[in-house]
Amino acid sequence: MNNHDITLKINGEEHKVTVPANRLLLDVLREDLQMTETKYGCGTGECGACTVLVEGNKNICSCVTLAATMDGREITTAAGLEKDGELHPVQEAFIDEFAVQCGYCIPGMVLKTVSMLTENPNPTEEEIRHGLEGNMCRCTGYTKIVKAVQKASQIMAGSES
Amino acid sequence: MNTRIMPEFDLLLPETVEQAVSLLDKYQDKASIISGGTDVCVAMKSGYRTDFLISLAKISGLDYLEYDPSTGLRIGAKTTISQVLSSADVKTYYPALWQAASIFATPQLRNTATVIGNLLRASPAGDCICAVYALGGNIVLQGAEGQREVSVDEFWLAYGVTARKVDEIAIELNLPAPVKGNRSSFKRLTRTNEDLAKLNAAAHLEMDGKKCKQARLSIGCVAAIPMRLEKTEALLKGAEITDDLLEKIVTNVGNEISPIDDVRSTAEYRNQVAGVLIKRVITQACCKS
Ligand SMILES: Cc1cc2nc3c(=O)[nH]c(=O)nc-3n(C[C@H](O)[C@H](O)[C@H](O)COP(=O)(O)OP(=O)(O)OC[C@H]3O[C@@H](n4cnc5c(N)ncnc54)[C@H](O)[C@@H]3O)c2cc1C
Repeated sequence: MNNHDITLKINGEEHKVTVPANRLLLDVLREDLQMTETKYGCGTGECGACTVLVEGNKNICSCVTLAATMDGREITTAAGLEKDGELHPVQEAFIDEFAVQCGYCIPGMVLKTVSMLTENPNPTEEEIRHGLEGNMCRCTGYTKIVKAVQKASQIMAGSES
Repeated sequence: MNTRIMPEFDLLLPETVEQAVSLLDKYQDKASIISGGTDVCVAMKSGYRTDFLISLAKISGLDYLEYDPSTGLRIGAKTTISQVLSSADVKTYYPALWQAASIFATPQLRNTATVIGNLLRASPAGDCICAVYALGGNIVLQGAEGQREVSVDEFWLAYGVTARKVDEIAIELNLPAPVKGNRSSFKRLTRTNEDLAKLNAAAHLEMDGKKCKQARLSIGCVAAIPMRLEKTEALLKGAEITDDLLEKIVTNVGNEISPIDDVRSTAEYRNQVAGVLIKRVITQACCKS
């Protein structure tokens, strides 16, 4: 099996890694770089625990992405949302609305929410539920997560005006 | 069984289509192409093996989506489902394809999965396949011998098998320019929203007032390959679309297919529901002006 020398810009910082051909982006993050905020769920692109953002705002599943094909890309993980010690409004809203129980799906949920609100700052409940497809939560029943997304949308609208 | 463990292979990252073709020519059936990887990576975790994986990741200029009213729509090999979904032209002129994109997988998958990857996977449950089959068009293949175009009517040959030769890469999908009175529509039945289809269907009609001049109907999950319903299309051709005709179509579709039981549905269910789904896509297509 061949190896590939790649550079990934993760949360603003460059990382050079040598990866075997079959290394998945998720494993580079968790195993090679010890960035364990991105979670391993189903491993087949269905549950969204492994969600990361690419080139700013494109949400993808890192568990079905070969690391070597991501050479030169910018990646944002949940840990990259905090700025100067301040949580991102989406993270604040998830806390305020008690949208977190076991927490395993939350890094993916939060990233998906950031991505969704960037594209559509004021979504309806239906749009939120459709947008959150691909991120599964087995604790909350989603009601509180939907409320948290609505709250985040309000906070972000307020901070812009 | 899905072990979630990736097998070993060499990953090759050509920078041009020509390089990719010469790698395919060199390694023949020892090599496979990976584009978005949403099928290939999952397959590899459950037993699929290849010696060489040729990725399109470093080839630039293949992620286009161009609409021209006189020549139609061109979709590049790396164009994703998300790109289709954000195109107003696709929504207006090729609603069946847009509707397939709108229910396709999840946002994450739509951002990575390609339309061409869906066509080349040749699954009878493929949603873009179903829409594209009804819309008609050509797939452009490039091999060591040069380029050729294959009509969607001759593209899917058996389960997972297409007309692509071993040294060829699919570089583009062309959909014909819409003519006057053109309508199309797609629908899918699943257990949950994110699931693959129990049944999917698409209709592409050329209408003259209430009269249907031409029809193409496609249906998925009822055979080893996606299927066109030519006998049912013949009922529509030249006919006015009335409730009586639609009821006749429902019965006819049930007679034209012979589905099997599988993990997502039963033959009995598919036989009973396929005709109704076709009726609904025809009605939905007609309602849109
Ligand atoms: C969680 C999940 C949900 C899904 N939901 C849906 C769904 O709702 N509807 C649906 O239809 N599918 C679904 N799929 C299947 C898959 O996402 C699609 O088939 C997708 O369009 C494949 O595109 P890709 O770019 O990821 O293909 P890849 O995995 O890269 O490739 C797929 C096949 O096409 C071949 N190929 C790709 N590009 C080329 C090319 N340019 N030339 C020649 N051969 C090529 C590959 O060799 C491979 O055989 C789902 C998959 C997952 C994991």
